[in-house]
Amino acid sequence: MTEPTSEITPEAAAAGELRLRVGAFEGPLDLLLHLCRTEEIDLAALPVRTITDQYLAHLEAMEFRDLETAGAYLVMAATLIYLKSKLLVPPDETEEQLDDEALALKQELEERLREYARVKVQGTWLAQREAEQALVFGRLSSTLPPAEDVPLEDLSVHWLERSLKRLIEEQQRLRPRQVEPNPPSVLERMTEILTLLRDTWSLLFSSMAGGERKRSEIVVSLLAVLELCRQGKIRTQQTELFGDIVIERQPAVMGESEGAEAPSVQQEDSLGA
Amino acid sequence: MPNPIDVVEAMLFATDVPLEAERIREVLDLENVAAARSLVEELIARYEAEPRGLAIVEVGGGYRMVTRPELAPWLVRLARARTKVRLSRPALETLAIIAYKQPVSRPELDAVRGVNSDAVLDNLLERRLVRIGGRKEAPGRPFLYETTREFLVAFGLRDLNDLPKVEGELVIPDLAAEAAAAAEHGQAETEQDPGPSGTDVPTRG
Repeated sequence: MTEPTSEITPEAAAAGELRLRVGAFEGPLDLLLHLCRTEEIDLAALPVRTITDQYLAHLEAMEFRDLETAGAYLVMAATLIYLKSKLLVPPDETEEQLDDEALALKQELEERLREYARVKVQGTWLAQREAEQALVFGRLSSTLPPAEDVPLEDLSVHWLERSLKRLIEEQQRLRPRQVEPNPPSVLERMTEILTLLRDTWSLLFSSMAGGERKRSEIVVSLLAVLELCRQGKIRTQQTELFGDIVIERQPAVMGESEGAEAPSVQQEDSLGA
Repeated sequence: MPNPIDVVEAMLFATDVPLEAERIREVLDLENVAAARSLVEELIARYEAEPRGLAIVEVGGGYRMVTRPELAPWLVRLARARTKVRLSRPALETLAIIAYKQPVSRPELDAVRGVNSDAVLDNLLERRLVRIGGRKEAPGRPFLYETTREFLVAFGLRDLNDLPKVEGELVIPDLAAEAAAAAEHGQAETEQDPGPSGTDVPTRG
């Protein structure tokens, strides 16, 4: 049992303290455990000072892919620094003394490390089993007719969700894709409106939006109307909420129509209020 | 009436899921499960007495007919492919936590691993090695995860009791055990080498 240990340790020691496995760590616990292993540290008596310094040295050399991972490492760094700071406070530095709170924190950390070490061993064991089982081939599907009742106990919500998603996706793929003509430009629509208004005094917005009432058509028409309003080329009226918008030509000559215009503005105002 | 052992053999050949002793009892209309078991054992003895390409193993709560491990290299050659895709180290560790602590929620998993387990968990769910077993009556009612029968089959386990007990006290986390495991791992992999041609040798890492 001890033989492989003694084989590995000098190797790790010879490689030096700065043997970095940047990016190879699965998380802060993995890094911490790696440090403990290379230093042959007993997980039940974590030397906070040394381990904190080493942890921070590693952290500086690491590059993080995302904030969340970085956060996990930093939380651990904060815990270690906190523990180390507690150690620096008492004048008597011969022994690593911690107050109850810090002691509890340290014990919790040690327990987490031990548990993680256990998980690593279990993972290794599973890997070994997996390798053994990779050599064994069994039937993956049967030619027997399927059972008439579905064994529901083997199903999980995850698979139900997957199946549903797949069904929906398939349905969507089956539907023929509609090729949409390019929606008319706002400028084109503006010209259209003005052309129409050359022949008539007024027209309804609903007649502008196109027969198919496509959203893009409506949007373009509305933008065209708004732009024409801004330019003062047309006037619009909406006599009731959600009612049709009446588009009128803005009289080029301000004369008798001016009187008719004023009340309509008033009317709109009162509606708005 | 044919020999019931032959029926058992045929059943094992034809099914794709581990065949429970109880199912054998039901199909053959036997008195009890023990009778079914002894039939299977007799069949296993037959297979062992006169080795052939197949073996019968007890896995995932039932019996399964599989190829003998020594023959894997030729099957790999037949498949013209590498061996099955292996799980990554994080995936194996996550699986270990679920296997030992099940049912377990994602926050609990994250706490043990010290990192987010989302992606790893998705992978395991996708491979049907774990499934959602329910919800935890805790804030947020997180899903609880548990291992599946596929997990037992994939790892050649009869049931969860086949998982080795890892003692609570682990001074320097078993360097020895890991080194030994790594050595065996390597051995197992070299065994897969189909021979001189070496075309389908699984690559490491």
